Amino acid sequence: MPTLTAEPARVPVTEITEKQPRLLLVGNPNVGKSVIFGYLTGKYVTVSNYPGTTVEVSRGKLRYGGRDWEVIDTPGVNALVPQSDDERVTRDLLLAVRPDVIVQVADAKNLRRTLLVTTQLAELGVPMVLVLNLMDEARGRGIEIDVAGLQELFGIPVVPTVAIDGEGLYTLFKTIHHAKVPRDPLAVIRARLLSSAEFARVPAQTSGQVLPQQLTLEWLQTREASLRSGVEHWLEAQAPDWPVPRSDARLRTLAARLEEARNLWLEQSVARFKKTAPSVLASAESKTFPLAFTALGLGLALFLYTELGRLFGWQTPYGWLNAHLESGVLPAAQSWLSGHHLGTLGTLLFGQLNPENHAYENGFLYPLLTQLLLLIAPVLVPLALCLRRSRSFAERLGHWSRDWRTGLPVLLAVLLLMYEFVGVIGAGTLVDALENNLFNGLLTPWLQAWVPHGLVYDFLLGKYGLISVGLTYALALVLPIVTTFFIAFGLLEDSGYLPRLAILADRLFRVMGLNGKAVLPMVLGLGCDTMATMTTRILSTPKERLIATLLLALGVPCSAQLGVILAISGSLSLGAVVTVFGVVFSQMLLIGFLSSLIIKGQRGDFIFELPPIRTPQLKNIWAKTHQRIWWYLREALPLFLLGTVLLFGLDWLRVPTPWGRLSGLDMIENALAPLVTGILHLPRQTAQVLILGFLRRDYGAAGLFQMVREGALNSVQIVTSLIVLTLFIPCVANFFMIIREQGMRKALLMLAFITPFAIAVGGIVGWLLRALHIHF
Amino acid sequence: MHHWLSQEITEVLEAAWTCAEQGTVTQERIAAEAKTIVTETLLDECERGGYLVRRNDEIRLTTLGRQTAEEIIRRHRLAERLVVDVLGMTLEESEADACEFEHLLARGVTDAICTLLGHPRFCPHQHQIPPGACCRQAQQQVPAVVSSVDRLDIGEQARVAYLSAPQFARLQKLSALGLAPGATVKLLQRYPSYVVQCDETQIALEEEIARDIYVWRAADKR
Ligand SMILES: [Zn+2]
Ligand SMILES: [Zn+2]
Ligand SMILES: [Zn+2]
Repeated sequence: MPTLTAEPARVPVTEITEKQPRLLLVGNPNVGKSVIFGYLTGKYVTVSNYPGTTVEVSRGKLRYGGRDWEVIDTPGVNALVPQSDDERVTRDLLLAVRPDVIVQVADAKNLRRTLLVTTQLAELGVPMVLVLNLMDEARGRGIEIDVAGLQELFGIPVVPTVAIDGEGLYTLFKTIHHAKVPRDPLAVIRARLLSSAEFARVPAQTSGQVLPQQLTLEWLQTREASLRSGVEHWLEAQAPDWPVPRSDARLRTLAARLEEARNLWLEQSVARFKKTAPSVLASAESKTFPLAFTALGLGLALFLYTELGRLFGWQTPYGWLNAHLESGVLPAAQSWLSGHHLGTLGTLLFGQLNPENHAYENGFLYPLLTQLLLLIAPVLVPLALCLRRSRSFAERLGHWSRDWRTGLPVLLAVLLLMYEFVGVIGAGTLVDALENNLFNGLLTPWLQAWVPHGLVYDFLLGKYGLISVGLTYALALVLPIVTTFFIAFGLLEDSGYLPRLAILADRLFRVMGLNGKAVLPMVLGLGCDTMATMTTRILSTPKERLIATLLLALGVPCSAQLGVILAISGSLSLGAVVTVFGVVFSQMLLIGFLSSLIIKGQRGDFIFELPPIRTPQLKNIWAKTHQRIWWYLREALPLFLLGTVLLFGLDWLRVPTPWGRLSGLDMIENALAPLVTGILHLPRQTAQVLILGFLRRDYGAAGLFQMVREGALNSVQIVTSLIVLTLFIPCVANFFMIIREQGMRKALLMLAFITPFAIAVGGIVGWLLRALHIHF
Repeated sequence: MHHWLSQEITEVLEAAWTCAEQGTVTQERIAAEAKTIVTETLLDECERGGYLVRRNDEIRLTTLGRQTAEEIIRRHRLAERLVVDVLGMTLEESEADACEFEHLLARGVTDAICTLLGHPRFCPHQHQIPPGACCRQAQQQVPAVVSSVDRLDIGEQARVAYLSAPQFARLQKLSALGLAPGATVKLLQRYPSYVVQCDETQIALEEEIARDIYVWRAADKR
């Protein structure tokens, strides 16, 4: 699957103009290209999006042979005939950047796919080095590659590596100097096929550069106009005397024959250069594996026991340990710290003792560490160990997660772990510590003591204060939830689990006119709908992109909103929570189904590679999370502040009316009253929540949370408002993204549909609940 | 029965069938489909033979006419598959040849060819191939030599014979992932979607695409 990106386009890659040698890394997806890129470039790396796409291109510097090389990491490709945006970018880079050296990074165990790319690159006539990475995985499967034979066949250096362990990387570094223009093993067959009289007009040589004949022919056969037009432009510049054929049947025949010849050659070559000894397979398991596996079983059992214990009020080891800490260790630590005038630090770390339940609350360190070390680590650490120790375990885990019988329990375990990490640690512990302890407990009171009362005080620290509300919401409430979500998402992404989830979800998504690939934007939508809307580009047809965008805007709550919903649902019964999610989910299914009937076009093919299950690299996760959080802050923070200022202004503004002097907020509440109190049967002030919800959904949810805490809503009203808010119009940032992706007309149509729809569904559900006397 | 039919009548019936697949059948549409002049006399002859009835402008195939046309169509489209898949020609080249072939194939040969090709369901133009007795039998009986990936048993290995994907893009995508003629595939999973192993790569596919991939199954599987 293509990588997700968070950065909008800023620096077009084609802007690089300095005269320095360029090295292009090319290869299949999931072959460890980024590790090799990291090794070659060290830390001087810039990541930017390729113009007009969400595709990430990393560039870095390599100092070698007294010169600075520009190293460009291209998106993973299966072949140089592009099927997706990612692959198109790689092709464009090969044509536009004119590299001085190409380093093909390949998966040693997949020789056929490797050689397919090698033969295509060979046509370009650029000096090359072939890196056979993942040699350990190949060896583990008893696969032996004839490296010397390949070297001789293409006449280029071939370097076997195990990039994660650093094996062979120095050799690679030294070899770049010896890159050679590869011999094209298919040249003879191609020349024979092309020389038949009718095709003699395909040029082989143009203005000093070799034209990749077969590739050009294959590129011209690509049905997608946007992919083809690039080649046509390039041809016009490179071979002006060659008329570009639009759809010439004979050229298609020729392309098919060339491909056939290549397939035959590939088949023979794989047989020649790859040897398999199946006996090695069994011994690919380390001796410590049984130990790690036992630990994993115990960890999982402990985790599930604790989760069930929480639900049914059992005594758990986790609860016992917590009680022990709270009665003995923490008070001792607290008093020791206060003795050294560090009482504030103690409060920050451990929180305060709540006299009602004798528990420490709102601390940073104490609940965080116990939750991480006692619940999540006992599952994740042995899991990582098992994956490292045994290849067959990784394979079995991959199998379990894609077969529906085992896949659903695995999904449940993943969801529970995510709930524990994002819902409990992120939305619970971290939010409490930041909001109650740091902001409301320390920072705001401290500022309130300093700032003199007046307009400035109200503006910064009042009921709708920029700091007391805007900043607190953004940094204390939303940031921890989003951060934990992005970490969890990164782990899922890099472990190879998401493609398997796509398999499980395929049937369901087909009802909605999508296919399993849409799982990626939908899950990411649980983090941030705006970002997810951007990644709908990985779907292959306009119809799918439109439906996915609509569903994201309609029903997928982003993580901060979800966190708040979960927090609110703490005060509700299970039935109420099930009702909320049931209604939202069924509406998504319904609207997806209907829109798949209405919207013209095709559903894309569901074909993709399942990468092996692997232990994610923490460095990679950190880089991704870091990038996504910055993106999020740039998107969200200004809107939070803007929303707060707007509310402050509306509250501050007093207008004389026949009913007395009213504030702007009162007037809006009055205006929306028929809707809010009439149709939805909610208190008038809920109007505020809806306005906030348009600025950011999570802001609205936070406002609702506040109302629930004040006891302003009964359970039916909570359910109604949660449904309306979840289905309600997307936030401003998401709306702008929809405009950017789908155009103004479709965006407005969506808005015009979703708003009344959300209110209608909320009204109907509320009415039904009252009519049936259901109070949860 | 149609062995005694004249070339012209065969052509008319064939064209009428194709038109009926797409909508109503009229004299002009038959003429356009068969790319010849369809005279009143010719239609009269068909009507007298009991192959079709004419009502106002509309033409309708009788049961006999439908049966006869179905068989011709089946042979035509199987012949197309044969020419494309086995002889490796493209559609543009095969068009004329298939039409010649169809008239040479005897009924027994048709079913044998159908079996050899693994009872394909669509011709290279993606028109449906009317199933014959062999296809109906094959559904409960022994697997064919050539079959599509969706008919493999879980864990069974086979070699890719050809891909019959209607879109060029799909074809390219499959072959870029290594699913090309000659490659070895193993079916790993059928539900919720198909998963095949090809070389050391696992590929997820939807059922429709799995049906497009034709493989040679091991001889002892017969
Ligand atoms: Zn014919
Ligand atoms: Zn046909
Ligand atoms: Zn048959």
